[in-house]
Amino acid sequence: MRIEFDQIHKSFGPTEVLHGVSLSLEGGQILALLGENGAGKSTLMNILGGLLRPDAGEVRVDGQPVQFRTPNDSIGHGIAFIHQELSPVNDLQVYENVFLGRELRRGLFLDRAAMRSQAAQLLQSLDIPIDVDSHMRDLDASSKQIVEICRALQCQARVIIMDEPTTSLAEHEIALLFTLVRNLAAQGVGIIFISHKLNEVKELCSRYAVLRNGAVVAEGEMADVTTEELSEWIVGHELAHWQPARAGQLGSEVLRVDGISRGREFRDVSFSVRAGEILGITGLLGDGRSEVFRSLFGDTPDYEGRVFLEGRPFHARNTWSAVRAGLAYVPSNRKENAIVPDLSVLFNGTLATLRAYCRCGWLCRPRQEQDFQGPARDFRVKYGRLDDLITTLSGGNQQKVILARWLTTHPRLLVLDNPTQGVDIGAKQEIYDIVRRVAAEGMAVIVLSGEGQEIVRLCSRALVMYHGTIVGELQDDELNEHEIMRYATGSKTATAHANQAGE
Amino acid sequence: MKAKHGFIGWFQAQWTGNPLFSTTLALAVMVILQTLALGTDFDSFGDWWTTFYRNWIIVLRNNATVGIVSLGMAFVIISGGIDLAVGSTFVAAGALFLLLLDGGGWLAAIGLTGWPAFAAAALLCVVAGALLGGVNGVLVANGGIPPFIVTLGTMKIFRSVTQDFMQRGHNPSFPQEFADFSCLTFGGQMVMPIVYWLVVAGLLWVLSRRTVFGSHVVAVGSNERAAKLAGIQVRSVKRRVYILAGALVSFASVIQICRIGSMDYSNAGSGYEMDAIAAVIVGGTRMSGGRGSIVGTMLGVLIIGVMNNLLNLMGVPPFLREAFKGVVVVAAVLLQRKEATS
Repeated sequence: MRIEFDQIHKSFGPTEVLHGVSLSLEGGQILALLGENGAGKSTLMNILGGLLRPDAGEVRVDGQPVQFRTPNDSIGHGIAFIHQELSPVNDLQVYENVFLGRELRRGLFLDRAAMRSQAAQLLQSLDIPIDVDSHMRDLDASSKQIVEICRALQCQARVIIMDEPTTSLAEHEIALLFTLVRNLAAQGVGIIFISHKLNEVKELCSRYAVLRNGAVVAEGEMADVTTEELSEWIVGHELAHWQPARAGQLGSEVLRVDGISRGREFRDVSFSVRAGEILGITGLLGDGRSEVFRSLFGDTPDYEGRVFLEGRPFHARNTWSAVRAGLAYVPSNRKENAIVPDLSVLFNGTLATLRAYCRCGWLCRPRQEQDFQGPARDFRVKYGRLDDLITTLSGGNQQKVILARWLTTHPRLLVLDNPTQGVDIGAKQEIYDIVRRVAAEGMAVIVLSGEGQEIVRLCSRALVMYHGTIVGELQDDELNEHEIMRYATGSKTATAHANQAGE
Repeated sequence: MKAKHGFIGWFQAQWTGNPLFSTTLALAVMVILQTLALGTDFDSFGDWWTTFYRNWIIVLRNNATVGIVSLGMAFVIISGGIDLAVGSTFVAAGALFLLLLDGGGWLAAIGLTGWPAFAAAALLCVVAGALLGGVNGVLVANGGIPPFIVTLGTMKIFRSVTQDFMQRGHNPSFPQEFADFSCLTFGGQMVMPIVYWLVVAGLLWVLSRRTVFGSHVVAVGSNERAAKLAGIQVRSVKRRVYILAGALVSFASVIQICRIGSMDYSNAGSGYEMDAIAAVIVGGTRMSGGRGSIVGTMLGVLIIGVMNNLLNLMGVPPFLREAFKGVVVVAAVLLQRKEATS
């Protein structure tokens, strides 16, 4: 099957976001669709997925012009769209999810036996070790992703669009996904793979296309380019080469955690961080690093063990008292945990400090604006008006607004959980700069991340967690991606342990 | 869609961009129909004008009580909750008000009479309503029970306990000298309930738009998890929303009793929860929380009120009017859907 975009134009209101995009994909190819957030990737894919219609230009399938009015039209043509946020029904079993929306029936009733055997056959043909009878909620993130792909295949998809499928996966799960994608391509399925991780697309994809400001700026065979060239096309200018982080002047100890545990989530975790330091904590999915800080921040305060904040015992009973004590926690999964979609840019950026602008309950708007606009200007947040909804901003700008929310609290300790998730390369660089600067100004910073590269670039010291405990501490020359992986995988049975922790 | 200029362009921009536009438009259509329904059988313009504004005062007065209840309901729904117990709180608070104020009532027993007694009774009634709301709030916020279930339960409890208690002793009556609280006339019109409604609406508008509490309510309804992780005391916000609703309901109860002079403990306030929810929804508030406004809720109350009046003027049988109300609620949500999809 062959898909062609021919001179696609699309506008939202007065702004044109696609200026005549032409692109093609053959069956069996894996096409990397690259570009910053807002470059037009999602718009283009939504047109192919039947969610949007082009203003001008046409989409052709095997040379025939087609018009997709609904997602069902495009599924009917064998095009499946796997969105970044997965939509599995956790209360159903695997085979039921595979057939979701196109259940097999015998008369009035579901034909469970047929669905189960067909799903099992499908999984077997792709060499996937997932039990069709397991409940969806018991699977880890990559298995859910794979079930989602099987659902697409079950609809006889000949082209599969995957929108950032690896953001929530750990490295060994990514390997599993890649094997599946390669198998599919070998069977003649065309894949459009959207990702910000260049090493990943370099490894997996056979072709690439780079979108910038709604136009294709480069396309060709993956074998002919380097990741440096790709990133130059994506951002439009050469990226400054980075130096590995080195410890600057460290101040006194800000936080000391002494052997804290909480149920099965984490056990006997101890560490300390000093003013001016950027401490990294990393590991694979299910390592418990986020859980530790959710507990410290008062979200799940029922942990055992002792914590000292600037030498004094500290135990936040709720998030409010953690904020007052000078902790700031930028959570992972921005959309779920940080963004308030019905509030404006201004209110999202000042949500943690609203009471400070308050006189007898009355909100003092000028002070609120002043307090937000400082960091907003520093971080170069791009927004229209302060009263626009936060959801009108791109992912990177949303993340900067959330950073501003926490830096206006003037915390003593800033914890960043997966701070560059779903953020494009340019914004990523800017967020790193912000983090380095606040640390240089004497704040203690802890960065939680599953990306080894991020830890190496940003941190002067890193802890590696595995299955709820700290298994290694790295600094100076030892602090590299290779060493991190060695600790993070723990042992040869790492996969089995990680699966247990995910349950 | 190409951007057009002039009226059509303005209309398109408002239609897609302004959440209250379709609501305002619907109200305008209702008002035009209502004005036409008054007929043309008048001697002079002055004659018509008198009929017109008297009719309007009746509409506003009849909806003042449910209007105040709806404003409280709007806060609850924006916070992501729902309060089915408003009608029962209305009765319970009203019963307490009468018990306190009755000629041989509790306040008279401690020697308080006249307007000071009235003020004390009204205040205690509002406090009691706030406490009943607080029961809902604590069960929702601290008990972690879904608000629908909590308030379904307290709806039954509040009314049944009130009914049982009130049929045991003597039935307190309302001393008519206090009727002026609601019935004081200006230019021959009884407008006090309307004045209270507008004042409450003004105060609540300020509360929703100009205070920390108002923003916290939106944050909790829009993304509770994010609100919690931003250090907002989510439980306290939820408790206060139900307390506010309870206090407003009991204030509405005071106004109603002063106007009618009595209370029927079996039927008063029944159906208020549904009328209030309908008005809030018609006013563009999202059922799952986060989006909504005081102005929209006022428009919602007016749309339903004007429609009732219109049906009345047209002589539609009373049983059928509820059907029209149902149609308006569903149609309003259909109209608002385009805002969500565009």
